[in-house]
Amino acid sequence: MLKSLANILRLTVKELRAIRGDLVMIVLIIYVFSAAVWLVSDAGSTEVQDLSVAVVDEDHSPLTARIIDEIRAPLFASPALLSPQEAEQAQIDGDYVLVVALPPHLERDLRRGDEAEIQILADATAVAFAGTGSTFMSELLAETVSDYLTPGVEGDDLVDVVFRSRFNPNLTARWFTAVMQLMNNVTILMMILSGSSLIRERERGTIEHVLVMPVRPHEIVFSKILATGGVILIASVLGLILVVQGAMGVPIAGSIWLYVFGAAIYVISMGALGLMLASFTHNMGQFGLLAIPVIVIMILLSGGITPLESMPEWLQFVMHLISPATHFVSFAQSVLYRGAGLDLVYPDLLKIAAMSLIALVLVLARFRKILS
Amino acid sequence: MEHVARLNAVSHRYKAVFALNDVTLDIPAGQVVGLIGPDGVGKSTLLGLIAGVRRAQEGEVTVLGQDMRDARARTALGAKIAYMPQGLGRNLYPSLSVRENLDFFGRLFGQKREERHARISMLTEATGLAPFLDRPAGKLSGGMKQKLGLCAALIHDPDLLILDEPTTGVDPLSRRQFWELIDRIRAKLTDMSVVVATAYMEEAERFDWLAAMNDGQVIATGSPEDIRTKAGKATLEDAFVEMLPKEEGEEVGVTLRPRIEQDGAVPAIEAFDLVKRFNTFTAVDHVSFTIPEGEIFGFLGSNGCGKSTTMKMLTGLLQPTEGRSKLFGEELENGDMAARQNIGYMSQAFSLYAELTVRQNLELHAKLYHIPAQRRAVRVREVLDEFELTEIAEALPDGLPLGIRQRLQLAVATIHEPRILILDEPTSGVDPLARDAFWRKLISLSRDKGVTIFISTHFMNEAERCDRISLMHAGRVLDVGTPQELTERRGAQTLEEAFIAALEGETQDEDAPSNTAGLTADVATKTASAAHRAMSRLWAYTTRETLELVRDPIRMFFALAGPIILMLTMGFGISFDVDKLSFAVNDMDRTPESRRLVEAFSSIPQFEQQEDFSSLDELDQLMERGDVTLAMEIPDGFGKALHQGLTVPEISIWIDGSMPFRGETTEGYTLGLLTQFAEDLEAETGTESSASLSISTRYLFNQAFKSAHAMVPSMIMLILMLIPAIMSTIAVVREKETGTIANFRATPVRKVEFLVGKQLPYIVIAWFNFWVLVGLGLWVFEVPWYGSLPVLGLAALFFVIATTGFGQLVSAFTRTQVSAVFATAVIAIIPTVNFSGLITPVSTLAPIGRLIGLSFPGAWFQPVSVGIFLKGFGLSDVALNILMLAGFSLIYLVLSVLALRKQEA
Repeated sequence: MLKSLANILRLTVKELRAIRGDLVMIVLIIYVFSAAVWLVSDAGSTEVQDLSVAVVDEDHSPLTARIIDEIRAPLFASPALLSPQEAEQAQIDGDYVLVVALPPHLERDLRRGDEAEIQILADATAVAFAGTGSTFMSELLAETVSDYLTPGVEGDDLVDVVFRSRFNPNLTARWFTAVMQLMNNVTILMMILSGSSLIRERERGTIEHVLVMPVRPHEIVFSKILATGGVILIASVLGLILVVQGAMGVPIAGSIWLYVFGAAIYVISMGALGLMLASFTHNMGQFGLLAIPVIVIMILLSGGITPLESMPEWLQFVMHLISPATHFVSFAQSVLYRGAGLDLVYPDLLKIAAMSLIALVLVLARFRKILS
Repeated sequence: MEHVARLNAVSHRYKAVFALNDVTLDIPAGQVVGLIGPDGVGKSTLLGLIAGVRRAQEGEVTVLGQDMRDARARTALGAKIAYMPQGLGRNLYPSLSVRENLDFFGRLFGQKREERHARISMLTEATGLAPFLDRPAGKLSGGMKQKLGLCAALIHDPDLLILDEPTTGVDPLSRRQFWELIDRIRAKLTDMSVVVATAYMEEAERFDWLAAMNDGQVIATGSPEDIRTKAGKATLEDAFVEMLPKEEGEEVGVTLRPRIEQDGAVPAIEAFDLVKRFNTFTAVDHVSFTIPEGEIFGFLGSNGCGKSTTMKMLTGLLQPTEGRSKLFGEELENGDMAARQNIGYMSQAFSLYAELTVRQNLELHAKLYHIPAQRRAVRVREVLDEFELTEIAEALPDGLPLGIRQRLQLAVATIHEPRILILDEPTSGVDPLARDAFWRKLISLSRDKGVTIFISTHFMNEAERCDRISLMHAGRVLDVGTPQELTERRGAQTLEEAFIAALEGETQDEDAPSNTAGLTADVATKTASAAHRAMSRLWAYTTRETLELVRDPIRMFFALAGPIILMLTMGFGISFDVDKLSFAVNDMDRTPESRRLVEAFSSIPQFEQQEDFSSLDELDQLMERGDVTLAMEIPDGFGKALHQGLTVPEISIWIDGSMPFRGETTEGYTLGLLTQFAEDLEAETGTESSASLSISTRYLFNQAFKSAHAMVPSMIMLILMLIPAIMSTIAVVREKETGTIANFRATPVRKVEFLVGKQLPYIVIAWFNFWVLVGLGLWVFEVPWYGSLPVLGLAALFFVIATTGFGQLVSAFTRTQVSAVFATAVIAIIPTVNFSGLITPVSTLAPIGRLIGLSFPGAWFQPVSVGIFLKGFGLSDVALNILMLAGFSLIYLVLSVLALRKQEA
């Protein structure tokens, strides 16, 4: 037992030396946990922000001027004023997500108490923005119009609603994407690093060499996960503290240590999965072909990009069953945003651990086979 | 022509290391010329320069009267030179049959069908390969691979045949047959010059003219006889050793001291009927032997005859299918850690950690063998001394010469002072001097320390140094005994002859009669037009790539099933339809009004009601666990206030904002519901509404407002960006890794022909994928389509030409398959996912993101795909985009041609 631990430790030191020797890999690790997190969380957001809007104003009244004035940042970009024909073409070209059509005599009709209709034309091909964007737009229009027509009168709403958005008061997506980006990077790097370190040893024949010695396969597997996992874990935690919390100013609600604990388990599961895929392939090329779709699917269907609840139930079930990423996303959301404690998140962690265990058992079962 | 090739003051270096140092050499024409010398002295570099596959750095290289620095001359010479690179069958395609391989080479030289057929049957008749025309090259024995390589080289009647170590790693019988074949061919094609590099001195005896090389320089030239007499030695090997600059007092030669036999001792290794099967292939077939302690036991046999497999079974690396083995009388069992302390093992290829220094490698092994800490430092120092490694203790193994690396491997194998050493071809590729030194070590280990040594080798003079040897062939042991016994038993003069005689008895089936009678150059050579030759070369790569792809199940699976799997998972998985939001209520009012409000939520499918909560603490828990996305608290008196209309009742709503998109959508839904609730109430109570404004929203292009309808067309773009690019990038880099890129470098094929030829199959597959994806979209996801599918097909065609071209461009800059795959993925995925309209519409992107997106083809294809599916676009709407995609295809091709190198450095 003690000998086994000593072996693992020695092999881990060797793996760490190997990582230290690979400058490109170190640069890549630093890049993805710093600049890349920043870049992507700035770009790929699904929050309604600076939405492109055009207005077709056929009224040219003070009311419509007021409306045009009210359509502004942060939710909307300042609107373009177009003729009906231009607006139609522009929307076909995909230039605007929303077009607000203000009909002729809008102000006059409203002041007379006649029926009037404002139409919002939403480009539903921009499916992530059209729905929410048009809801916000119609709220804005209703409010602006009633403010304008009956100034000073407090809303005549029947019900006063107090909205509180918990855990992320302004619903900014940067928080979310930044943390999810960290997780994606852990997924990508851990799978590739651990898997390719096994394949490299196999291609170079070093694994045979080690196995002739009094070293057991599990010692090799553990040392690989320990070394790469340690590096990735430290890099991701530094990324979280320095970049996400420090530079980007995302507040972290829960305990960092609990997050690190969970991330460690996740890192192990990704390492095990990478090794498992590697044990099914013969060379780097095949490993790459296998790993890429697995990574893409795992990231896209983790619940970190679109909500898991909107997937068909069978798919949710399958992803919960095979992908540690789904559990990690729900764990990370609970801890980092909601400040949940271990008592609330332990089921997720147990599931991730169970998946790692299964993957490790598979790797070890295949270990002798991969030598032939 | 007197000289086939002339080198004048040629130097060549790899970074700071000289491979050739000011070499001036005139190689006579019409002869078999040998380049001899140990590994790493510059033989391969010299041949590469003559063949034109390496770029001449310094000095002049003139081949067949042409200056090799001139690209035009090189292209013209390509049809006159044949080059067989180092490594057994390294320029062959293992999954292609003998006929397909030869067909490929014939096409590369623009031969028409009839001519190819005539030549293939002629060459395979001559080499005895005719019965195996349909066997895949990868399943041929070493000797047959070599013959196939030779056929491929001879397919275009070259004037100059360049063979780089053609017989390394081949058994003596195949080696002998190979040279006899060359002699016969030379007898027919008398004008042909042959230049051969070899490390086997025995072979060099049969060449007409030799150039001996050492350390980047030519140290002697002349006929074998000249060289022997000059050095005053009986054999070339001795002559060569004599010519090398020597350090003073260096030991030369090997003397084998007799072994003292111990009767009745337990044998070190015993094998009983060992069998190893891989699927249906029997690698080792009932092998038994006994090796007494302290003996040097040699294993002789051709490549793939089961030597390595047997050795691995004895180390415990492989589990035998049948049979058992004993070490020192103890049954060898899987996972027996104690037995491993007794074994030192050295595998065929260098297998130490390249990232650790010599000392670190030794220390790691010392630790893993559990040498006690106080003894460890001493032992490492001892071994460093003993194997003369002290000076290079801090060096990394990759930069060391092969001989020293082998010494290091042996040092590592002996660090724990094992009683058995199992050495798998430890001296392959090592020069004679270093080999002698290596053997002196072995003999001292055996005789002085009583270590049992089990060694495999291809060198006959090494076999003769063993106490006993065993001849192996096709997984079986043919004969065991001392070298003398074996020689006598076969009635042969030398051990080599005995071995050949033993093999000849076994290989009749493979050795079909070879008939060089028909081997003449007068096959009807119709000169095809230049255009036809170019098309033929391009087609050669297309057919070969297609065949290889079809026979590689993993790549084929990725190509065909990959897009479908991605489409299904992402199509179902990526959905912005926010449904089944869990919500919980704390209704403190419990009036019909409050119940009605709750019902407004629970009655639509977007919300799913959970258990009620009763306190804020409970709510905290629910939300922290993520069980509830929306919570609503209706205070006491809500219904009353609503009725009386005096005060405006207040309700509280909490939304889980940890997933912003879901949060925003939830807020949107809630606002809508509350407005509806208020309007309904007003209508009932008849309260006057202040304004009669109605705001209506119309969803254009996707009336049902379904995620899948919007996402599927974009997903087609993403998948066709990713998979075809990765497939095509692998196609080129694979050739670099396996070595078949040599065929591109050594033949007249042009860069454009090579690239386009390899791209074609992937374009076809990707376009096929496109239609499959469209089919999935239409029937599985039921996406409506309003535009013209043929136009979409046209745009997709240009899009996949561009994406496969992008993959090839990446492959021009990468060396390994893995870096190519990840470079393609990383470079392509980020802009395609983020900046081409997949999720965020292009119109709301910041200018820089928009620009990045537009510099990739994805952003141009996405609007076409979405437009034709959902907006009813026709050709005129997307003409500009199609033009841009065509432009991308062209630019990628031009850049790839510029970046691809026809010569190595």
